[in-house]
Amino acid sequence: MSVLQPSPTPAAGVKKPARRCAEICLELLCVESVRLFHEKQSGPAAAAALEAVGFRVGQQLAERYTRDKTRLGDTLEVIKFVCKEFWQALFKKQVDNLKTNHRGVYVLQDNGFRWLQRLSVPAAGSDPAREEAARQIALSYLHLPCGVVRGALCHLGVSCTVEADPKHLPSCTFTVRILA
Amino acid sequence: IVGQEDHPIYEVDLTGPKEQQTQYLHQFVLHSSLDAVDEQMWMSKEPHLKVVDRFNGLNVTAFVTAGNTRFLLLHDGRSDESIRSFFTEVYELYLRVLLNPFHAPTTRIMSREFDRKVKLLAKRLLG
Repeated sequence: MSVLQPSPTPAAGVKKPARRCAEICLELLCVESVRLFHEKQSGPAAAAALEAVGFRVGQQLAERYTRDKTRLGDTLEVIKFVCKEFWQALFKKQVDNLKTNHRGVYVLQDNGFRWLQRLSVPAAGSDPAREEAARQIALSYLHLPCGVVRGALCHLGVSCTVEADPKHLPSCTFTVRILA
Repeated sequence: IVGQEDHPIYEVDLTGPKEQQTQYLHQFVLHSSLDAVDEQMWMSKEPHLKVVDRFNGLNVTAFVTAGNTRFLLLHDGRSDESIRSFFTEVYELYLRVLLNPFHAPTTRIMSREFDRKVKLLAKRLLG
């Protein structure tokens, strides 16, 4: 999986402009990989495979984005880092809302989740069957970002499970459950 | 370089060929200093830790990343500054290796390029 922009070269003095890649490439890659995995395997196996891919990517990205930062101590700090800097780097915005029940469950809400922006939304108020179908399709695209978030959190020492819930497209909530 | 589950990911001997006994001894000293690294980690949040452990005139300096990967250097009293810059450069290289999709964070680093660059850096920065 490609990253949105490559890391800047550390050459002292000489500043090369960072190479840029069109964002549509990443979106098309995500869409195509979902389709490919669903073709090769059916149902939960495809979801698990996509999440595993996301997991690896999340680990690597977490290591990269924590480059110059001091170490994060707490679980809460790790989650805050993921909500702010990690989300900013991946999805160009920060998480809009973070809730916790202080017992190990965190809910991250993103209004306008970037990777779902291209999904066509049934008009609000249309029949619930269509909305349900749209939700199902959105779910299949959410395995990858769930995996990325889980990978980042696990690499930083917080072992957990992440579930996504596309309530009203394009807004989306991620529920993080810390494993004891 | 020691990974998250305390297994060594990369080792290099920067001073030149030594006999077997000393090599084992150095490796042992480095691994036993991991506990001392953990202690220092609990106390400070800085990635660069100063000298973490001493043994028979040799010092161990450590650098810890956010993903709990530890870089250890066994030396006999080099300047702190040069060790810091050495660790920063090796961290850069390590990040590049890690971003390789064919490399899992828990496997050993087998890349010869990485090895060569680390040795070059050591010659340049640590003398």
